[in-house]
Amino acid sequence: MLQLWRVLVAGARNFFRNAWLSTAATAVMTVTLTIIVVSFISNSALTDTIKGLTDKIVLSVYLQDGITDEQKALIQNRLKATGDVQQIVYVTKDQAISRYKEKNKNNPVNLEALELSGNNLPASYEVHLTDRNKLNDVIKAASSPDLKPLLDQKNPISISGSLKEGVQKIIHGSDFVIRLGLIASVIFLIISTLIIFNTIRMAIFTRRDEIEIMKLVGATKWFIRGPFLFEATLYGTVGAIIATALAYMLLLGGGPQLRDYIDVQATTTFFTSYPILIIGAEILIGMCIGIFSSLLAMSRYLKL
Amino acid sequence: MILFDRVTKVYPNQMIALSGLNLHIQPKEFVTIVGSSGAGKSTLIKLLTREEVHSSGKLIVGGLDYDTITARDVPLVRRRIGVVFQDFKLLPNRRVGENVAFALEVSGARGREIKRAVPKMLQLVGLASKEAAYPHELSGGERQRVAIARALIRQPKILIADEPTGNLDPKNAWEIIELLLKINRFGTTVLLTTHNKEIVNALKRRVITINRGRIIKDEEQGRYTLEGGK
Repeated sequence: MLQLWRVLVAGARNFFRNAWLSTAATAVMTVTLTIIVVSFISNSALTDTIKGLTDKIVLSVYLQDGITDEQKALIQNRLKATGDVQQIVYVTKDQAISRYKEKNKNNPVNLEALELSGNNLPASYEVHLTDRNKLNDVIKAASSPDLKPLLDQKNPISISGSLKEGVQKIIHGSDFVIRLGLIASVIFLIISTLIIFNTIRMAIFTRRDEIEIMKLVGATKWFIRGPFLFEATLYGTVGAIIATALAYMLLLGGGPQLRDYIDVQATTTFFTSYPILIIGAEILIGMCIGIFSSLLAMSRYLKL
Repeated sequence: MILFDRVTKVYPNQMIALSGLNLHIQPKEFVTIVGSSGAGKSTLIKLLTREEVHSSGKLIVGGLDYDTITARDVPLVRRRIGVVFQDFKLLPNRRVGENVAFALEVSGARGREIKRAVPKMLQLVGLASKEAAYPHELSGGERQRVAIARALIRQPKILIADEPTGNLDPKNAWEIIELLLKINRFGTTVLLTTHNKEIVNALKRRVITINRGRIIKDEEQGRYTLEGGK
């Protein structure tokens, strides 16, 4: 224990002695860990936002008038067979008319138009999806050539009215943002690994006399390597604390503004409920980067 | 105490540094090793401190057969031998007391033990008042005394002094030699390498002359001679 304590003290002393190198290494570690945690937040918030939107998406498949019950069953089975359907609700022509009337009760023009068409609205299947990403698969299944003659010819399929394009854009946009966050995280992981590698390499170089003396007086390999290892974990730990503080400031400080655009409620609740878990995970990632980089640098430049 | 039995050291570039060297040093001896640059003195010391491994022959130090030691044992071997160098090898950003204490810290000594041992050792080398000074605040002779104190703090049976007076003026050089003699009188085996003819001749102790990796002269109360016995 005494030896471990001395190794930790030596590592901490080195951390403060090389203030500039330590600042640079800690700064890049902070940027990396901030990117990782912000990616996590945006991933989580965007997923919640999209889930909120897609939960409301209903795919309506309109049926041709006069098709038989067997044909209706064929369409229903084909939709179910995609495996992405949570629920299918059959809406009769009468139900469609009553819904239309209820919805447009304050719109006499629309009601008159319905009268003029002879109170004729198609029956339909309302399809509730399990996964937003499978929307196209279900549409494809419903649009297969053998089913096409069984569907309403003018307007065979609709997605929650006119929301389709907007939803698709949001889905594509969020996928892009999530992917971008992942790529940025990986890039900065590599950059911080290289910078810490270089910091430890320089530390080994500037302390070569000290290392020689340590060897001379009979220090073990662990006693010589330990301070470098601890120094690198300090970069990770300090970087993680700053990055986590920034993330909390973003979520708690910017939350009200963000709520106008995305659903950060669940993410904020998670962050406020498990602060130890969040900072623990950040410190763990930071320490792993530090340990990996310093081990790499020592294996190359610290021959004992 | 130290036994070299037909020890040969060949470096990877095929340079033969020591060739079948036979040497036996008794406990409590004061031995001076002389020889021109490249004669093999440094290699001999590096073999003793296990910075280098002999290629063949047998090397036994303090009863420990060097053929049997593993990489894990090397720090323990080094703790049994005190070494001082021409360039002192002190930690510049640590105080005198901390430099001396460092040798005890690496071996896991307790703080109380260190606090007790360091002032005593500094007193022995005549630096009791300099415990809080930094190496750059000391003269060359004083720095070498700090190095000696550090080498002796673990009370090794063997002290190797590799050109300890090389960077010192004659007055300081003699003070260091007198300190080494005092340490020897306390029972430590001292192995001194030097190019200083006056010191070797004045010591009147055992002198071993090495040339091209071989011992060419081994005399009790010897004198400094160059290659060929001039």
